[in-house]
Amino acid sequence: MLAYIAHYLVMVGIYTILATSLNLLVGYSGIFSLAHAAIYGIGAYASALAALKLGLGFWGGLLVAAVVGALAAALVAIPSLRVAGDYYIVASFGLQVVILTVFINWTSLTNGHAGLPGIPRPSVFGLMVDDPFRYVVLSLALAGLTYAICRRLTGSAFGRTLRAVREDEIAAQATGKNVVVVKITITTISSALGALAGSLYAHYITYINPTSFTLDESIFITSLVILGGTERLAGPFVGALILLAVPEALKFLAIPDTVAAPMRQILYGALLILFMFVRPEGILGRARVRPAA
Amino acid sequence: MAAPILTVQGVSKAFGGIQAVEDCTFEVAPRLITGLIGPNGAGKTTVFNLITGFLRADGGSIRYKGEELLGLHPHEVEIRGVVRTFQHLRLWGKMTVLENVLLGCRTPLGESVVSLFLRPGRVRAEEAAARRRALEVLDFFGLAGRAHELAEDLAYPEQKLLSMARIFATDAEVLLLDEPTSGLDTESLGRIVPMVRRLTEHGKTVLLIEHNMELIAQLSDEVVFLHQGRVMARGRAEQITRDPALTEIYFGV
Amino acid sequence: MDLALQLLATGLVVGSLYALCAIGWGLIYGTTLHFHVAHGAVFALAAYYAYVGQKLLHLPLVAAVLLAIVGAAVSGLLIDLLLYQQLERRGAFRTSLFIASLGLLILLENVLAIVFTPDPMRMDIGALNTAVIIGPVFLTYLHILTVALAVGGYVALVLFLKRSRWGQAIRAVSSAPEMARTVGIDLNRVHLLTYAVGSALAAPAGILVAMDVGAEPFRGTRFVLLASVGVIMGGIGSIPGAMLGGIFLGLLENLGIWKLPSEWQAAISFGVFLVFIVLRPRGFFGRTIHSAEI
Repeated sequence: MLAYIAHYLVMVGIYTILATSLNLLVGYSGIFSLAHAAIYGIGAYASALAALKLGLGFWGGLLVAAVVGALAAALVAIPSLRVAGDYYIVASFGLQVVILTVFINWTSLTNGHAGLPGIPRPSVFGLMVDDPFRYVVLSLALAGLTYAICRRLTGSAFGRTLRAVREDEIAAQATGKNVVVVKITITTISSALGALAGSLYAHYITYINPTSFTLDESIFITSLVILGGTERLAGPFVGALILLAVPEALKFLAIPDTVAAPMRQILYGALLILFMFVRPEGILGRARVRPAA
Repeated sequence: MAAPILTVQGVSKAFGGIQAVEDCTFEVAPRLITGLIGPNGAGKTTVFNLITGFLRADGGSIRYKGEELLGLHPHEVEIRGVVRTFQHLRLWGKMTVLENVLLGCRTPLGESVVSLFLRPGRVRAEEAAARRRALEVLDFFGLAGRAHELAEDLAYPEQKLLSMARIFATDAEVLLLDEPTSGLDTESLGRIVPMVRRLTEHGKTVLLIEHNMELIAQLSDEVVFLHQGRVMARGRAEQITRDPALTEIYFGV
Repeated sequence: MDLALQLLATGLVVGSLYALCAIGWGLIYGTTLHFHVAHGAVFALAAYYAYVGQKLLHLPLVAAVLLAIVGAAVSGLLIDLLLYQQLERRGAFRTSLFIASLGLLILLENVLAIVFTPDPMRMDIGALNTAVIIGPVFLTYLHILTVALAVGGYVALVLFLKRSRWGQAIRAVSSAPEMARTVGIDLNRVHLLTYAVGSALAAPAGILVAMDVGAEPFRGTRFVLLASVGVIMGGIGSIPGAMLGGIFLGLLENLGIWKLPSEWQAAISFGVFLVFIVLRPRGFFGRTIHSAEI
């Protein structure tokens, strides 16, 4: 039972990192991305391959994950964010699809559907992290670090600029903000952090395959963000706590697997819709100027 | 006569078959208030958009202190020293009054992610200096008491003042004000109009779009009269506002 | 060479399907500026309406198809009426509408998956399955019908937009919503109509695919995504552009297989998309939407 709770907490930590980093985009910047699962996957595969093929340790793996994740996002962000946010939705959707295709089909690198087994457990500061409780500490510590980084970002002039861009991008341009650079920067950072979560996941489960990084997963992460609330940084943590408990609850109700998976998706879909009714202004708002008298 | 600080030369812009601005040529003298007037649809806001890079002119030249502005992005125009307000204000309603002005202040270190993490001390100092400056600016505009309220909660005249405060904080030399007095009652006008004058006393150059002929006469030193996208007349304010032919165009058909 | 011709033909057929989705989605997006991903759900629903019509209600094929088209139009209209317009009334902004649309897409697809299972539901299409051999190219009557319907749908839409009063109202709202409102056009009504028409155009695409390989709950996601790519490449606000964009994507996918393994189809399409928006963001014929227009 205790090991089970430990597992739950590790996953809460990982998903907190994922949701917090996505919140930087969706909540703070008003940029919607459907590719976060792909970024998560890139981090996982990059880190796993760095360990398996290059023998890199934990920190090396994290670095590789962050860099590759950031590059993948930048590649898509740079052409599309120059134009409009809607283009990024399509581009990120495309990125998600393409990355998954790469995971499944570049078999010489990723082993395709068979996945990558035998990913080594990490060694942090000489300490081997291979029991569940040490993992809880590592996971929550990294989640805390992510939180701290995001806090620094959002509490600064940069964060202020982000909120201004989100609320009224034209006004931001008129006030000297290079909106495109700001958007690309935050997208890159968000992806670097999301990829870190992938690294953590890969070294924890020690086996990864493409099914963990599909569009459904992107939707799930989005649901975490929406549920927890986008205005506060702690929101994603709360979202993770709640939504990660749901599959377990469904298992208790002995719902057959074929129905459980779509049921979860229905729940997430309903959640997204419901929350848009309950707190629609939470996500994106343009300054509502009082009309001229 | 000082050399003009902003020159618009032969600028034109067409939208889907309609020539919004055509062969527009005028100059703006430094440290004076120049009024840009004309009937509705004359192209005044379009000219603002063209100068500040929100629209790309089809042809012509726009120079600020001799430097070509045509083809620059809005934020690049702003950094060089030409800034504008909007007719619909475009304040960041969900942010505080202070934050709205802070966004106008120069905070390059705080906006650089690298500096944020590698030079926290200098970022802190820069932010503190920006706050001091922002509060000074708010004080100048009489808004210091509202610093921590949300911009959307301000009364309309104060929102207009805030939109001016925001661009004043940028230290830009040329301020383009898009209908700074529209929608205001007489009492509020009494707050705004003197502020516009005070801007030039601080060395700023003002180009403003205005509909009220009397205010133009009061406020502007020079006037540019725009009609159907072309410059009809330029000159001292008293000349233009008393010209019967122009008045007819303005109020007429 | 034979293979190339076959792929060209298949590309035209697939392109016709994308084109039907694209002109409908493009009409909706260009008029309402809603990024209506739930269009994918309408696509899927149309297929199931036809399936239910034929298999459960025992209607003749044509009747089932017509029922499905009407059903799709109504579904699209209801989505706008009950979801988007309600959210807009509450002051929601565009990203919120998109998230709700995404939520609805996921919800509807998975409801379909539970009700009908994720397996493809096949329909009886009788004579349409007959093969047609033109030189080295192998097609069925269904495929030819697909291309014909795409062309027909396009022509019908263009005529509707040009000649009818309602079509002109849609065009007015699409190009200058504020002005349209000033001259007394009821924007909400026009939006509802736009959704009905746009969804009715997606229906044949969904149904044709169902007739070919069976109705599936999750296929709509891919189609709506490709439709949006087609619209962007064709140029937002341009119906001919969307048509061209859809066909272009179909050809691209299939000709891509000529030289590259088929699993990389999606990657090819998106790669081209990215290059496209770097080089020509406004697409073949359209205007770029920048994040806001003053």
